Amino acid sequence: MGMLRIISNRGDDRRLWNEQDALAGDTEAIAALHEVERIFAQERARGATAFRVDPGKPVERLGQFDPQATQIIMVPRVVGG
Amino acid sequence: MDALVCVLLGIGVCVSLLLFWWFNSRADRRARQLLRAVLTHEQYHQLSKQGYIDIHSPSDPQRVYRVPQAHGRVQLLENEKLQASLCLQPFDWVPDADFVVIHKLMIEADEETYLLKANRIAPINTSRIIW
Repeated sequence: MGMLRIISNRGDDRRLWNEQDALAGDTEAIAALHEVERIFAQERARGATAFRVDPGKPVERLGQFDPQATQIIMVPRVVGG
Repeated sequence: MDALVCVLLGIGVCVSLLLFWWFNSRADRRARQLLRAVLTHEQYHQLSKQGYIDIHSPSDPQRVYRVPQAHGRVQLLENEKLQASLCLQPFDWVPDADFVVIHKLMIEADEETYLLKANRIAPINTSRIIW
């Protein structure tokens, strides 16, 4: 089970996916996975940066969506103040 | 008729204020949950007690970033001495707790980009006493 968290003015928006169920052919899981991939690409296009945050492991910047991640946090576009 | 308009306007203002309060408190609560999930136990304790967290540079063991718990400048310390203040913020407003999360993730996973994007402000001469 993975979770995509998108930081926004609402705190963070969360989307879940289950890669195992999607691989097993579950249509709802496949649709959820596609939806998460679409949101990931959309946020990246808006300038967001994605980070893979797995418990007990160093934080890692992600260039593309990784369905095996347990948690991905997307940070909105930042600017020098 | 005027009184009715005034009452309706008053109700509208009250409802708007309540919605604004509810929206912000919900966002803050969610942001604090994310912060708790991302910080280590030591960092969370430091933030609660001191109002900032120290994030060690992945590339330079002498360098520390001191991130405040609310929007503000990040202090760049080297060998425990202030080298600069860094200003970097999200383009859109986010709750204070998310501000800390953003800095932590960027410093730990992409320090080079973080330093490139942040505006660097040299510290003023602190040896002069201003009354």
